[in-house]
Amino acid sequence: MKLTLDMAKAMIHVAQREAQRVGNTCSIAISDENGWLVALHRMDGTPIGTVDIARDKAWTASAFKIPSSDVSKFGDASRPGFGLNPTKWNDHLTTIPGGLPIRDGDKIIGAIGVSGGKPEEDVAVCQATIAAMPTLKE
Amino acid sequence: MKELTLELVEKALEGAERYARDIAGWPCSIAIVDKAGVVIAVHRMDNAPPGTAEIAIEKAWSAVAMEMPTLMLGRFIDPRIVQQHPLGQSGLGIDGTHQGRMCPIYGGIPIREHGTSLGMGVIGGIGTSGCPEAADDNSISQAGFSALYD
Repeated sequence: MKLTLDMAKAMIHVAQREAQRVGNTCSIAISDENGWLVALHRMDGTPIGTVDIARDKAWTASAFKIPSSDVSKFGDASRPGFGLNPTKWNDHLTTIPGGLPIRDGDKIIGAIGVSGGKPEEDVAVCQATIAAMPTLKE
Repeated sequence: MKELTLELVEKALEGAERYARDIAGWPCSIAIVDKAGVVIAVHRMDNAPPGTAEIAIEKAWSAVAMEMPTLMLGRFIDPRIVQQHPLGQSGLGIDGTHQGRMCPIYGGIPIREHGTSLGMGVIGGIGTSGCPEAADDNSISQAGFSALYD
């Protein structure tokens, strides 16, 4: 299954409602499996700096196919993957929590990035959106 | 309107996407930015080339930054027009400014407050990328602008 714009829009609307429910405003970015942006919304009153952070979180989750917060574990010598050279990091790579890959079965079809609240709130919005995906498919 | 809200912006994008799909016939990316030039919403339609989303944002940003449609910027650097002007009256090199963000391709237009004249009351910008002919990009942006008032 490919991530369509209609699906991305539906997911963003879920994320917006979820953010409103906890009294937050945020930027929400959806990227496809290659990290390219599919849709991005910034809710009214959200700081402008959150736009790029949301994009970067989605890109990181797409690029590494893991939650963006897990990227920092590459720097932990006790874990596999130690040695990722930080000087080769590009402008998009971020280790801030709030970017999660979107799965269809065992295949990763894209990623969502949320920025606007505290990191754990952003993650909660991502998780709620991904949890709501099966209801959006039809 | 005095300010762009996400609700209005979604309505505009809906109108622009409808024009792109039904009239222009090409999948496009459409971006709307606020008066700070920062994205409010971007949509990349299915099968639009992946790089178009970024170009749509840059076009919308350029329209806000210069408070004029990007087709005007295109005229500043069109060599056929530039050579008819006296020395010094051209915008050659404008496309390299702002770390390369300035985009002089047709398709970005500023959104003005209702009833204001040229150079005043810019509250945002809309940019489209994806059509093989950039004039179509411009039409899609205009359709999006019109949809704000539907």
